[in-house]
Amino acid sequence: MYEMDRREPFWWGLFSLGGVIAALLVPVHIFIHGLAVPLGLVEGQVLTYEPMRALVGSAFVKVYLLGLVALPLCHAAHRVRFTLYELGLRNTGLPLGLLCYGLALTVAFVAAYILFQLV
Amino acid sequence: MNSHPESRPYEPGYYKYKLHVPSRPPTWWLRNFKYFLFMMREISSAIIGLFLLLFLYEIFLLSRGPEAHGGFQESLRSPGFVLFYVIAFIFALYHSITWFGAVGRIQVVRVGGWKVPPALVTASAFVGWIVVSAIIGFYFLGGDHV
Repeated sequence: MYEMDRREPFWWGLFSLGGVIAALLVPVHIFIHGLAVPLGLVEGQVLTYEPMRALVGSAFVKVYLLGLVALPLCHAAHRVRFTLYELGLRNTGLPLGLLCYGLALTVAFVAAYILFQLV
Repeated sequence: MNSHPESRPYEPGYYKYKLHVPSRPPTWWLRNFKYFLFMMREISSAIIGLFLLLFLYEIFLLSRGPEAHGGFQESLRSPGFVLFYVIAFIFALYHSITWFGAVGRIQVVRVGGWKVPPALVTASAFVGWIVVSAIIGFYFLGGDHV
């Protein structure tokens, strides 16, 4: 007799959702914040302090950015966990699941705090 | 009573009996190019995570005033950061391509009684990705937020 595992589907769901968000939204954000703005590939003073502050001031953008940061981190936690197993950290007694998901969730809470304390 | 043996096969002490795990050197993924690509896809998630941490740090600096935030943005022009963002961008693209490439094989889409061909599902995912990226680019770089 098997009992249904109620934990794994939840984490797998976050992994899957995070994978979609990472695939859909992350490349363009890396391009914007890491390449286009610093290297001046776009005209004008875009996304400097004032415009970015105004942007993050909106509740919609706060929620969007929280999803953008938190969900792909849960995705990464899942992949890193299993990659570490594949690299030989199996049966070492390390609670890798707890460490990986715990770290991702901690950063998610920090992200929520950072975003929602900004007015 | 136990949960399904396949569900958490990696947890230590999970099995009643010692599990036979075939030994494998930690460099197994360098053995052929397909394993290497598999590992790169896995690693892409961690590199994306690094980018997100940097981005979160930049958002945090908004609360520290224009000098702190501007100083960080200025430092992003250094060769080290540019190199990191170029590499992160390539890894992120690789994640997107593998992810959307798998969509057609994983997700069966039916419209009425018609089963949409997998190639069309994949193609739609790629088109959707480009459209969403364009909208985000326009919104964030539009510059009329002040």
